[in-house]
Amino acid sequence: MTVADLNFGQTAVIKNIDLKHPSSCRVIEYGFTPGQELQVVNKSIFNDPLSVSLRGALIAIRKHDARCIEVIIPNEL
Amino acid sequence: MNSDTVTERKKLITLVGPPNSGKTTLFNLLSGKKHKTVNYPGATIEYSVSGFLEQYGISAYLMDSPGIVSLIPVSPDEKVTIDSLYTHPDYGKPDLVIVTVDTSQFSRHLLLAKQIIDSGFNTVVVLTMNDLLEEKNFTIDENELSRSLGCNVIKFDPRKSDGIDTLINILKQDLNAGQLKIQKRNDHTEEDVLCIYREIEELEKKVLRDLNNSSNNNPHIAKANRELVIAGRGAGIKIPDSLTLKIDSVLLHKFWGIFIFILIMALMFASIFWVASPAMDLIDTGIHNFENFVNEGLGDNWFSDLLSQGIIGGLGVVLVFLPQIVILFFVLGILEDSGYLARGAMIIDKPLSLLGLNGRSFVPMLSGFACAIPAIMAARTIQNKRERILTIFIIPLMSCSARLPVYGLLLAFLFPGKYFLSGLILALIYVVGVIISLIVAGIINRYKRTFLNFEDNSSFIMELPVYRVPKVSNVLKNTYSNAVQYLQKAGPTIVIFSLILWLLTNFPADVKTNPDDVSNGDSVAVQLSESERISNSYAADIGKVMEPVMRPLGLDWRVGVSLIATFAAREVFVSSLALMFKVTESDENMSRSLINEMKNAKINGTGQNLFTTATAAGLIVFFMLALQCISTIAITKKETGGWRIPVLQIIVYTGSAYLLTFLTVNGLRFFGIN
Repeated sequence: MTVADLNFGQTAVIKNIDLKHPSSCRVIEYGFTPGQELQVVNKSIFNDPLSVSLRGALIAIRKHDARCIEVIIPNEL
Repeated sequence: MNSDTVTERKKLITLVGPPNSGKTTLFNLLSGKKHKTVNYPGATIEYSVSGFLEQYGISAYLMDSPGIVSLIPVSPDEKVTIDSLYTHPDYGKPDLVIVTVDTSQFSRHLLLAKQIIDSGFNTVVVLTMNDLLEEKNFTIDENELSRSLGCNVIKFDPRKSDGIDTLINILKQDLNAGQLKIQKRNDHTEEDVLCIYREIEELEKKVLRDLNNSSNNNPHIAKANRELVIAGRGAGIKIPDSLTLKIDSVLLHKFWGIFIFILIMALMFASIFWVASPAMDLIDTGIHNFENFVNEGLGDNWFSDLLSQGIIGGLGVVLVFLPQIVILFFVLGILEDSGYLARGAMIIDKPLSLLGLNGRSFVPMLSGFACAIPAIMAARTIQNKRERILTIFIIPLMSCSARLPVYGLLLAFLFPGKYFLSGLILALIYVVGVIISLIVAGIINRYKRTFLNFEDNSSFIMELPVYRVPKVSNVLKNTYSNAVQYLQKAGPTIVIFSLILWLLTNFPADVKTNPDDVSNGDSVAVQLSESERISNSYAADIGKVMEPVMRPLGLDWRVGVSLIATFAAREVFVSSLALMFKVTESDENMSRSLINEMKNAKINGTGQNLFTTATAAGLIVFFMLALQCISTIAITKKETGGWRIPVLQIIVYTGSAYLLTFLTVNGLRFFGIN
């Protein structure tokens, strides 16, 4: 499961970053690192890009880029 | 040896920081130089260098660098940025680097600071936006942080500027702290970044202090954060600003978001046209009065003519657009400073991405409505080269403010007295321009392998800054500096071309005046002889070569010459027509009498009217499409690194403009509209 699959308002924890994805480096630089908790707080009108709450910041990210962020939902642990 | 050259050289302090970290605000404060402050990620598009304000007594250059997230370049342009941070081609290595860190984004922004320190730069860390963190009931222990990082750390909010003396003292002290060993590291990998983040998370636990402050503004958030800490889910500053979340739930709402977006854009353009027009009229009248004053003062001779028409007239053309440019930059500045522009880019990203563009194309396209030149430069914030070039490619189709007086004249000719209808058609012209640009982008994107063959990873990741009340004084400073830049860039070109045009239309000057006209009174005689001079001038010689090209459009050489003149600046078209059609009144009735002259003008040698509904409509179509601005071509060549794109633009836009004008003129004639 990746951030792109999360529903509006859903909270998840980053499990892994797919380093084969061309956006992976940028994604990590923006603070998407394993163990971090994030929440999809808004979706743009076309459901893309997503607005993600991470490390106290809001980050707009396209679903395409969000696909390299693998997450798990804590309740399902 | 080496140390000698170092001491002789004026020292360099470079400001580095992530977007929205307050870096450029700090630059403005220290340099005192009027410079753009941005809230929009990566909008510091050029290195700005200045000295320090004299009162601080620091003798060094201060350089502002573009906002970067980390020292790892992801695009060729970013590589240039980062390389010149290590060693700038003109200013050398920085003697001191100031890194700004937004404390409310502590862990994310500390990444860059850590990379800078690890590279061996002599560093001072400035912690900004401390109020935002305190609202969350937390604070950073700067002494502990300073010990851990091994460099000076100071809390300072450039928006408030309290405590600047402490900062200045630290800068003075660290500037002379001795030489440093900068080691450029090209071997950064994703794993390194992850490693730095792990270090930062450890550090965060050490330096983050819970503020048990009773005067706290936001007890709800503070409580939630404390619960988070208790729950052991991390350091507890992970909840974004609550007000920002609330505003976003409206501004990024599926339905309201797009509605408000369209409303804001509409209000912005309405203010550009309606608020600016009284100011523009005032400047216009002022320039004409000045011209008359010079003419009366110096009498009728070539020198007063050169001064009034060539120089003052040319300057007037530049000045008359100033109100629109000022309003556009002011509104953009307010949107930027409040934090909305990043949201606008986010909302528009999806539709634009379908056309091969990017949400980051939004601001450049918006600026294109004022002037293509700053717009093309603003496209540097787009990391993907294909998207950047495509954005640059379509910017000339945004109806820039220089086309406004031309449309104004032609619409007044077509619909005399019908202001509402003219306004509506004008709005239509703008909308059609945008639609055509999107179609062009779509077509090129479809055949991108033929036109733009570049490496491809289209991405859109952008920090959405916290909403803040815009700091009007900051926005005004930026607007002022943009206005000055516009005058400096556009001014000389337009004045020079206006001079060339004056020379071409006034020489050879030895044409006899027709004695019949002299009886009509002095002032008229001068003007008539002037128009005669034009028909024998060098401009006419050039124009007559163009005649075969202009004829199919139902136009003659005089319009042809005016069109050539528009290469200096499109707005020159109006003053050039006035020069060509012997307009005698030079007061505020000028445009009315120009319209009368246009109605009576005949194509040479025939009884056919030159300006008809068909040809005026054709000219509007021509101005909508044709690439006829030398400055735009020059900046496109510079920004795309070659002639390929500008030449392609000239062929595509001017070619299709000619073709569509031909079709419009002859189509309208075919249906009996003439």
